Order: sequence, then C-alpha cells, then structure tokens
Amino acid sequence: MSDGFRAYWARVDDELAEFPARPVLTRVPGRCTPNFTGYQVRLSGIGSYRLFGYLSVPTGPGPFPGLLEVPRHGSVNNAPHYNERLRYIVFTAMHRGQRLADSPFSASYPGLFTLGITDPANYIYRPIVADCLRAAEFLLGQPLLDPARAGVTGDDLALITAARRPGFAAIQVTGPLLHEAMRRRHGTTEYPWEELNDHLRHHPADEDALAATLALFEPARHAPAVAAPTQLAVPSSGPTWGDDLLGALGGRLQRYRRTDEDAVDTRALDAWLAGRLGVDPAARFIA
Amino acid sequence: MTGATPPRNTSAAAITVPRPADFDEFWADTLRLTEAIDPAPELPPRPDLSTPEVTVSELFYTSFQHVRVAAWYAAPAGPAPAGGYPVVLHIPGYVSEPAILKSWAERGYIAIDLAPRGKLRSNSAVNPGYPGLLTHNIVDRFTYGYRGFYADVVRSIDVIARLPEVDADRIGVWGSSQGGGLGIVAAALRPGLVRCVAAGAPYLCGIMAAIRLTHSYPYEEITEYLRAHPDDEPLVADTAGYYDGLNFADLVDAPALVYLGMEDDVCPPETGFAVYAALPEPKQLLTYERCAHNAGLRWVIPKVEAFLDGHLKPSGARA
Repeated sequence: MSDGFRAYWARVDDELAEFPARPVLTRVPGRCTPNFTGYQVRLSGIGSYRLFGYLSVPTGPGPFPGLLEVPRHGSVNNAPHYNERLRYIVFTAMHRGQRLADSPFSASYPGLFTLGITDPANYIYRPIVADCLRAAEFLLGQPLLDPARAGVTGDDLALITAARRPGFAAIQVTGPLLHEAMRRRHGTTEYPWEELNDHLRHHPADEDALAATLALFEPARHAPAVAAPTQLAVPSSGPTWGDDLLGALGGRLQRYRRTDEDAVDTRALDAWLAGRLGVDPAARFIA
Repeated sequence: MTGATPPRNTSAAAITVPRPADFDEFWADTLRLTEAIDPAPELPPRPDLSTPEVTVSELFYTSFQHVRVAAWYAAPAGPAPAGGYPVVLHIPGYVSEPAILKSWAERGYIAIDLAPRGKLRSNSAVNPGYPGLLTHNIVDRFTYGYRGFYADVVRSIDVIARLPEVDADRIGVWGSSQGGGLGIVAAALRPGLVRCVAAGAPYLCGIMAAIRLTHSYPYEEITEYLRAHPDDEPLVADTAGYYDGLNFADLVDAPALVYLGMEDDVCPPETGFAVYAALPEPKQLLTYERCAHNAGLRWVIPKVEAFLDGHLKPSGARA
C-alpha cells in the first residue's frame, strides 16, 4: 500500500470525523409491525452534507445481528426487505446525490461515475465512500446490535467500507462497480463504464489521470485491510474478479458463482449471510 | 387437517380485476386532455455521448398537465434510410433510470428510453419519489401519480411517430417489470401505432392480488400504506381498477411476447399468467423456472431481440 494511498484515505477519515453524524430518527408507522420498527434517518456526512437512510430494528431486547446495505449505482434504493427487517437491525444508506439525499446535489445518470474523475480530490466517489463509512459507523453504533454479528452487502463499495471500518463479521460483494473499471470499459457500451469511454473519446489525454484516480478506489488495494470472511459473487460470464483482488483476500475469500437463475442466486447469497450472522435463511418468494 | 398451506399453483390462480364502468371514458378523457397540449418536441444532440456508430440525443416533449418529459434517443450514425428507421421504445422499471441504448442503435434501431414524470430529468414539476409513486394519491384516480405517468408513455408514441427519421409503421415497445406493464398499456391505448410488445415480469397487473402474494417492493408500498391507512382499502382498490394492466390487455392489437420468472417475488407470476390470458392472439409466453424478477434475463434477451427483429426488421425494408 503506497503512502499516497494511505494518506488519501486517512485524510478522508480525518475530514469525516470533523462532521458529527447528529442522526435524527423518525418512526414510520407504515413500516412498523409487531415484529419490527422502521425509521427514516437523517444524518450528516463529510462536507456539511445531510444524508438519508432507512433503519429497521426487530422487536425485543436484543442484541440482534446487523446488516448494512450500501447504496447501489442508481438514483433509488429500496427500503430494506421485509425478510431483512425480521432478522436484522438493517440500515440501507443513500449516498449523496441519490433520491432522499439529493439536496443540494442531485446525481445524473449517466454522469455520476465520472464526475470530477480527473482529480482524486474532487472525484465524487471520495465523498460517496465517506457516506458509506458514515453509514457503517451509524449501524455499528446501534445500541441493540450484537457487535460480533454485523454484515455488509452490496457492490464493491461494501468491500471498501469493510476495509476502512473493521467491525463487520461478514462481507458480501454482489458485483463489481469500481473494480478494474478501466479494463471493464473495453468491449461494452453499458453504463456506468461507458461513461469512461464517453469521457476518453473526447479527452484521450486524460487516460492516465482517470487510471490514477480509480486506482485509489480499486477494491484490490483495499482488500488487504479486510479482516472478515468475504463472499464474492462471481458473474456467470464476462469479466470476473481480478487475480489481484482474489489474492489479496486470501483465506477470507469465499466465491459464489452466479447461475443467472436469480431465485437460486438470491437464496444462496441470503443463506451465506444468514449462516455467518446466525439467523435462519429466508426466501423472498413465498412458497 | 394439518393446516398446512398448499403450494402455490402460479399458473392456475384465478385473478380478476373489476373493470370500472367508466374505464374507457376515464382514459379517453385523460388522453383528450393530453392531446390538447402542444407536445413541442425537441431533439437536442449530445455529441459528448455519441460514438462513431451511434448518435445520441435527448428527446423532450410536453405531456399531460403541461409536464415536460425527457427520454434518451440513440440512432445509427449517418443519414436515415428512405422511410426511416424502426423504433424500439423501452420503458424503464420502477427504480431504474432510462438508459442510453447504444447496442440497440448499433443493430439498426432508433432506441428510445423514456423518463416519464418523476424519473430524473422529468421531475422538476412532479416528483412523488421512490418509494412513493405507487401510492401517490392512490385514493383518487383523477390525481393518482400514475395517471400522468401512463399519459407520458402514450404521448411518447405519438411524438416518436412524427419524428423525421422514424418509420411510424415500425414502432415496437419493450420493457420489464414496470416497463412490461406499461408496454401493455401503451399497446392498448395506441393500437394503430404499436406493432409489437415484449413484456417481461409485468408489473401493475393484478395489483390488489399481488400485495397479498409478496412482501417485496414496490407492491410492499401499498401494504405499508394500508397498514397506516386501513380504512382506505376500498378507495385504493377502486383506483387500482383504472390502472390495472388486466383491464387494458384485451385492447391490445399487436403481437405480444410475455416472459415470466416462476419464482418472481416482485411481480408474482400469478399476475403475469393472468395478464397473458387476457391478451388477444397472437401472443407467446415464455416461463423460466428457478428465476425471479429477472425473468430468465440471460436466456430471454436473444428471444426478445428475435421477436422485435421479426416484426420491425431493423436492417431491411418494410415487410
């Protein structure tokens, strides 16, 4: 790990620490049942930005296992699923720019993935990662949480979050976003990676700058700091996870190869997390 | 008696939706109000997003209640052939943003992906949010959030048919989930323009039945609404009848391809079978075991492409 890499992320941590979260929880009657209580959460992040998330807490004295759902790439994140509410203290975070966390910044699609990308200090994923770290701090600080049973799930932002916020007992990475993005851009017109192609088509001299920025966010560079068992969902076809990342995870790595039968895949991913966090697996399709 | 719940027989479930007596009048009025407004289409180019093979533009038009609606427009680069290009109109899912469909343009289509009101770029005046759209004013069919959303989809077809590079006789509609349900609505309300419709895991079909078959979003929004407002259920059911795809299906006058995941927790397969049963011929149903809301995506996309190509003939002359 280079000094530049370490210093970049240490600065993010330092800046984030300057902004207390000051969470405000608002109970949502429609998301409350005898089995759980749902809240909308407003909390502060880096750069004087007010963020948003959904929190659900099972009924009872606890302690309960916890689950952080990091935001997906897109403007909307669903509230946590009913099955997760029954089993976990679950927090679903919005990063800045997404719906409900879109004031004063509203993300564009396409546009978000390359916003400020020529300068690591201004790349939008710098504060977005900080938003994920703030979400992790919020979940890990929940009073009814069993600190030995917290998990995090989502795209490779989940891995970066877990690398920088030890405390998770299980990490599940459902797919790549930032991993080897400069390689993934080749041979596709799919967004968000096509944003890199759009940028370089008009600014070919920026290629080294883009690569340098993205290197700071490369999950393979963060992986050595991951302490917990990590499940990577491996695509059934197309580009897969790079050897650097697989090697960096070492004995903590567990792979699940997707079948593309998504009911099967969803059940398998759910069962892995449930097993790690000590709850029963649950199928979303009600048989 | 064991009290055990029998397994779901998804293909045999009897799902019916009462059709309001003034259903046709309600939608005729909605479209009449929309058609009274100048669509004022604009097609500004986006060279920053274009490639040597694909020209990307934005499409804007004015719709119901004077709301300005956006879409992405991707066309093969270069001059259009005589008679124009065929069009694939894609309608996004509930939480999705419209995409720039460059790969479809590379195959010879004008590929348009719509952002009906409330989606990004179309939400400056109307923004019920997500979650929120499904239950926005759901107690009142006249102000329900989906009224303008449906009108935006239908109006897009009128606008697209008049664009200079478009062959108005070769417009197909495709989408999954919300895009599947709205594709059926579009084909029903514009039978003279929609030549074929491919609908995956159609949402907004059998709405009130669906909320009893799943805890997944978006239908869970209605469950949560009724948890907080239990006395509103008759009003919610009344509104749903005006917007339910089952009540539009028999108006479709275009070949239809429907595909379903047999373990779809988002749009229960029972509702997909019900809307398929209500569609007139010609129609085709594809089902995928062990699949959920992706509805066999990996295997069905080549079949969707073949279906649309067969009806719209992207590289050849009109049939």
